[in-house]
Amino acid sequence: MIRSESGAPAPAIEVNDLTVAYGEQPVLWDIDLTIRQGSLTAIVGPNGAGKTTLIKAVLELVPRAAGRVEVLGRPYREARGEVAYVPQRGSVDWDFPTSVLDVVLMGTYGRLGWIRRPGRRERREAMEALEKVGMEAFADRQISQLSGGQQQRVFLARALVQEARIHLMDEPFQGVDARTEKAIVEVLRELRARGDTVVCVHHALQTVREYFDEVAILNVRMIAAGPVDEAFTEQNLRLAYGGRVPFLQGVTGFEVPGDGP
Amino acid sequence: MSTLDVEIQLLAVVVAVACALPGVFLVLRRLALMSDAISHSILLGIVLAFFWVQDLAHPFLVLAATATGVLTVALVEALHRTRRVKEDAAIALVFPALFSMAVLLIARYAGDVHLDVDAVLLGEIAFSPFRRLEVAGMDLGPRSLWLMAVILVLNIVALAVFWKELKVSTFDAGLAAAMGFSPALIHYGFMGLVSVTAVGAFDAVGSILVVALMIAPPAAAWLLTDRLPVMVVLSGALAALSAVAGFWAARAIDASIAGSMAAMAGVVFLAALLFAPDRGVVAGVRRRARQRLDFARTMLMVHLLNHEGSARARVENQMDHLQEHLRWSPEFARRVVRRAERQGLLERRPGGRLRLTPLGREEARHRMVR
Repeated sequence: MIRSESGAPAPAIEVNDLTVAYGEQPVLWDIDLTIRQGSLTAIVGPNGAGKTTLIKAVLELVPRAAGRVEVLGRPYREARGEVAYVPQRGSVDWDFPTSVLDVVLMGTYGRLGWIRRPGRRERREAMEALEKVGMEAFADRQISQLSGGQQQRVFLARALVQEARIHLMDEPFQGVDARTEKAIVEVLRELRARGDTVVCVHHALQTVREYFDEVAILNVRMIAAGPVDEAFTEQNLRLAYGGRVPFLQGVTGFEVPGDGP
Repeated sequence: MSTLDVEIQLLAVVVAVACALPGVFLVLRRLALMSDAISHSILLGIVLAFFWVQDLAHPFLVLAATATGVLTVALVEALHRTRRVKEDAAIALVFPALFSMAVLLIARYAGDVHLDVDAVLLGEIAFSPFRRLEVAGMDLGPRSLWLMAVILVLNIVALAVFWKELKVSTFDAGLAAAMGFSPALIHYGFMGLVSVTAVGAFDAVGSILVVALMIAPPAAAWLLTDRLPVMVVLSGALAALSAVAGFWAARAIDASIAGSMAAMAGVVFLAALLFAPDRGVVAGVRRRARQRLDFARTMLMVHLLNHEGSARARVENQMDHLQEHLRWSPEFARRVVRRAERQGLLERRPGGRLRLTPLGREEARHRMVR
């Protein structure tokens, strides 16, 4: 565990007063967020809330209008090797002429740096990662032949070979089959068990309580953030999603006031 | 074949292969039209540099033209970033502007030198061997062959050295950036490579046909393979084939060599489009026909199973009645029955009656459950 000078563990990710704007249109307004090491955190919020942008801002993929982001107490570019990134599955072209193993090997590129090529050791690690997500039989398969769930597991394997301690995932559960969902959850828990930090942009509110320890509820502004028990309340969700959202009923796991016996 | 023929073909092959290699990544990065833009706007660089040094063979021309190519990319992106125009419109606005400036400058001030508009558009590969490279009185061969060979080697080395960077930034630019491989740096480096190649090829094949040599062979190769290294090698091979075939086609019909090369690249692509084993049009049609037959066979078996042993079986399960009951043409019915028979799923009894074999019965039950 990485500690700050005072001896307390540095937060995995610390975001202060972050504002991101496309043109003059703010997508994130003055965000403060602390993600502690070893937590499983869900970022939830309606469409257009800036969830993906928040992750991209941490990774310095989008310019910040204001604010500060630190990863393990350092600027991102110094902590790059500690961070793995799983973009949305739909953000790449799966017709690209390459194999499953080759995509997973891309996870080792950051460590290798410019020009050096992956060798036998990287290949072995990539195979091990594929085994962890149950995709080892597909190593030589052309990626266009994969189902959505299989594509997601390949992306997860690619993140695993990055040997990172912080994992930023953009909707890893989007449109996957039940088997893949289970496999992903298992991997996430394994990562937590060894002290890693996982942050997922997440859509399915009904699984937040089951899968995650902490939650950040976002809608351009940060509505609430903290342990699921404290922050994942009916009221906060209403603030984020607007008043009339029938699907919220029962999602938070709390009794709706007045509905009790 | 004369020495001249050999030299022209050699130059044609080197030009075509040098164009096809970066072309692979142009196609994969969806930048095919950018090559057209670059191959046109480099003319402005050539003209301006020519006014400066007054020598068409000066190496400075290559440098200036390459810079114009990269400038084109930057201008297109700047225009696109204003969000007032889409990217394709930005391309269509930038390169004609630069190209027309060059054409006007040539017409006004350089009409009497060798830079004439025909040569600009189509190149003059047939005359290239007349400009020789001589060192200390020794004839080393056509000058453009040397230039193009250097560019080909540069392309091979650049692709080999930056293979993984090009691959990851093409497949997943976000991941590449997060890992610290600047996609902008890779992009402009690569577009510089495309520009140099276009400049080198310009002399031989002109500004219009470069795009055919850059795009057609990789597009054909992508239909034939789904492995990136194979795609690169195959693109080079198809480009070389187009070059040689183009030379002989031009010879046969006494036409422009560059034009024939581009036409042959088109023919090669068309052949791949039609006959590629998996993704070709013919393969697709045959696959659909087979699926239709397979489904019809299953329908027939389920029909036979349903009526098996019933009172009406004698009528229903009759070859001649398939047309009536399943609304099939006699020819189609015969084909379906023959197919099922060949696969050992049913047998024809005397009097045109059809009966499922035990295997067929099992298969039909299995299909119905699924």
